[in-house]
Amino acid sequence: MRVNLSRACRRQILRPSSAGTFSPRRTYAFQAPGGAVFKVFNSRAKWLQKERSAANPELSRQGDYLKDEVAMRVCERLLDIKRQFPRVLDLGANSCNIARALTRENPDPDPSTPTSPPLATKIGELVAAESSPALLFRDADLPFNAGLNLTRHVLADDESLLLPFGLGSFDMVLSSLSLHWINDLPGVLSQINSVLRPDSPFVGAMLGGDTLFELRTSLQLAEQERRGGISPHVSPLADVRDVGGLMGKAGFQMLTVDVEDIVVDYPDTFALMQDLQLMGEGNAVLGREMGAIRRDVLLANEAIYRALHGNEDGTLPATFRIIHMIGWKEGGNQPKPLKRGSGEVSLKDILEHK
Amino acid sequence: MQSKTRPIQNFAQAASKCTAEAAIYGQCIVADYNTVYKDKCANEFMKLKNCYLV
Repeated sequence: MRVNLSRACRRQILRPSSAGTFSPRRTYAFQAPGGAVFKVFNSRAKWLQKERSAANPELSRQGDYLKDEVAMRVCERLLDIKRQFPRVLDLGANSCNIARALTRENPDPDPSTPTSPPLATKIGELVAAESSPALLFRDADLPFNAGLNLTRHVLADDESLLLPFGLGSFDMVLSSLSLHWINDLPGVLSQINSVLRPDSPFVGAMLGGDTLFELRTSLQLAEQERRGGISPHVSPLADVRDVGGLMGKAGFQMLTVDVEDIVVDYPDTFALMQDLQLMGEGNAVLGREMGAIRRDVLLANEAIYRALHGNEDGTLPATFRIIHMIGWKEGGNQPKPLKRGSGEVSLKDILEHK
Repeated sequence: MQSKTRPIQNFAQAASKCTAEAAIYGQCIVADYNTVYKDKCANEFMKLKNCYLV
């Protein structure tokens, strides 16, 4: 501690006081609780990418297929919760894909069940929170907005929820395809837990694991061969095992974590990368090489992707691995696991007598 | 901004004409992708690049 303190002091002294850049802000010599946050993503770059992608609404909507699909799958999970939700938060709303999915007629895909009303009828108010205003308000005048009570909220900071919303202010938190850009995932998950009322669910989906592994490997090979070294082009992503642990650590009960792979076929790598750009899902890893990828590498990448992963019909598959998670905030008369050692039936007996 | 074609689309268009050369280069890399070093397939790549520049 003392070492830190002296270093902080020295830095202040060494700073030229005559220059106009001197900041009166103190640097504190202690760490915030929860440990240092390891910065992986450049949130400013991510914000810019989202703003730019939404600058042309027509084009931007063409890149919505993945987000719409995942939002739909997230919302299907709500069919299992027989409850009314007066106030719901959609964290990282993108272009309100969840709101669109909620207003869909007959959300239950099972043809044997009768037609059900849109899920929006279960929701009193949906607060769609997103840091990029251009993306958030892109579809503000489309017809689906009339289908539910939707409030759009521009987040000043992706990673602080308590400031704008306060403790225990939501009956459910939804999140679809945005948590994978969060630097401090443990912190954000525990904030989600705090903004929930007791005994309320968090239903989320994020990209994880082997998402875009084809692009990752072929770009690595192309860069290695053309330039003799590699720079990150695809984000490091959370794995399924990590997510369970993180949710538990954030205080969620009755966890459900599962994985779905969505494989999309593209005509070539340029179409894939252009669509990623339209989604606002470009590279925003800190420490990446700035500027565009060189033409040589792109040309090599196209050839390697095709040789290594290409389909027989000449298309190129791209895998999106979606990690779905459901967790409940503790409270009420929620079912809890029994105490360790309190079991009276031996699983061994059951399995042996079968 | 989007009214004219982006340069990258012209590039993609040009690159798509060289499937034969691309396949040869791709095979050269994929044949042993655990030991890839700089300019391992430089000859194959130059052929591919020549084709796309034409």
